[in-house]
Amino acid sequence: MQDIRKHAQGAAGPTLSIRNLTVSFAGRRQLVQAVKNVSLDIWPGEIVGIIGESGSGKTMTALSAIRLLPHKAQVEGTIHLGERDVLSYTEKQMRALRGDRIAMIPQDAMQSLNPSMRIGRQVGEPIELHRKDSASRIKTRVRELLASVKIGDTDQRMQEYPHQFSGGMQQRAMIAMGLALDPELIIADEPTTALDVTVQAEVLRLLREIRDNTGTSIAFITHELGIVAELCDWVYVMNKGEVVEQGCVDQIFNDPQADYTRMLLDATPSIHGPRDEVPNV
Amino acid sequence: MTLDINWRRWRLVAFGGFIVSAILFVAIFANVVAPYSPYDLDVANMLAPPSGAHLLGTDELGRDVLSRVIYAARISMMVAVLASMVGLIFGTIIGSVAAYFGGWVDMVLMRFMEVLFSFPAILLAVVLMAALGTSVVNSMIAIGIIFIPGFARLARAAAIDVLRKQYVESARAVGMSNTRILVREILPNIFAPLLVEAAVAFSYAVLLESALSFLGLGAQPPEPSWGNMLNVGRGFMANAAWLSLAPGMAIFLTVLGFNTLGDGLRDAFDPHLRD
Repeated sequence: MQDIRKHAQGAAGPTLSIRNLTVSFAGRRQLVQAVKNVSLDIWPGEIVGIIGESGSGKTMTALSAIRLLPHKAQVEGTIHLGERDVLSYTEKQMRALRGDRIAMIPQDAMQSLNPSMRIGRQVGEPIELHRKDSASRIKTRVRELLASVKIGDTDQRMQEYPHQFSGGMQQRAMIAMGLALDPELIIADEPTTALDVTVQAEVLRLLREIRDNTGTSIAFITHELGIVAELCDWVYVMNKGEVVEQGCVDQIFNDPQADYTRMLLDATPSIHGPRDEVPNV
Repeated sequence: MTLDINWRRWRLVAFGGFIVSAILFVAIFANVVAPYSPYDLDVANMLAPPSGAHLLGTDELGRDVLSRVIYAARISMMVAVLASMVGLIFGTIIGSVAAYFGGWVDMVLMRFMEVLFSFPAILLAVVLMAALGTSVVNSMIAIGIIFIPGFARLARAAAIDVLRKQYVESARAVGMSNTRILVREILPNIFAPLLVEAAVAFSYAVLLESALSFLGLGAQPPEPSWGNMLNVGRGFMANAAWLSLAPGMAIFLTVLGFNTLGDGLRDAFDPHLRD
């Protein structure tokens, strides 16, 4: 199965490689495992969908890679970003990676933008943080970034505050911020869930363009199968903290192996009217 | 939101702002505005009632009461500004650090704040003044210390609210350090309520300073302050009421001005009233 993975060919190694990752929290009586023995790879230039319902551990898996899990989480396994052994990094080393080599695009852009900071400054923040560039060079770069995510009238827009942006524009501004330093990996955590369908399509098209132009790897976390079908190269299906199936998009959709994947596909509303009941696993 | 409410809201700010700026103007330019020196004795005119020459009369040593009230405004404003600043700055730092780091840091800082808070303000001021010695600077420090817990609590509550916001998490995701998150993400977003509190603290500081100098712990005679003028005037209530009325009115107007400004600002910053 692995050999159908086209992005893996010719690449020296995966951008992100997670092996036997277990994330657990000390519950009242026993240890609760949010992620169980998960292994996954994301190759350069690949868009990988991590799909599953709420509580399936998909976000926890992604947050482990950027080491932003809650303090109480106990993490086992290994995570490599390129050659870097992320779990052995100190907090200070991690700070240097975040926003520079790994970027995160959050679910709700409106909530993720600081309401009291102008867009221009905010989008330029990763550059200001990680590179010692002059203010004018940062500004030029921010202008480019905003243009690349199709925000027009950049000079005007940079002066505005987040609440003056529409939902789609806020999300595009967040994407611009994520792109600021050409990260190796972008983790997009349900970035389109809060958007309406037409804006969703725009954002997805934009993400694909970004991948095509920059070769960045994208981990796309979602519960929407339609998006996975449209966007992703490779899919991991997660349920109850475990990867139940992985494969290329065609295989997952046309020939699902795991019961859970079949159920998930069956649960997708179809144009032929509502289903009788939601299957239970 | 109708225009009417906006106007009402800004009217408060304008009214308070007008009084406050008038008092600040008088305080800053006391040497130009005051008709006489606050220290010049006019032995021929002791306890003279208000007249053309002395608009608010003279005191028991023949000094011009208007000039003394004007110069006293300087001390009051200085103490109020600096004390509010001390409270605002240290309170904000303590409160936001407590909120951000939580755990035992929060515990220790806030319990300490509660100890300070549990003393009656004037008692704490008197104790602090006794320890520090009586002077204008010390009364400013003492009043500032009294304000710290209030600001700290407010800053902590506001910061805890901001900390739950997704944008703080996003700031971590772009690699910001703790200090930077505090300064760039949290402080600007808790500033509005603190500013309102500062305006309220300001008027309270005027009252406290007057109380301290009334008790003889603040500005020392012959330096004029509203508090010590009231104290002196007390002895002449029956035959020279203007001695008490003038500083009393000054305190009243100042407190009114700052409270109105504070209320107005609170409404203006209230997101529920925002258009």
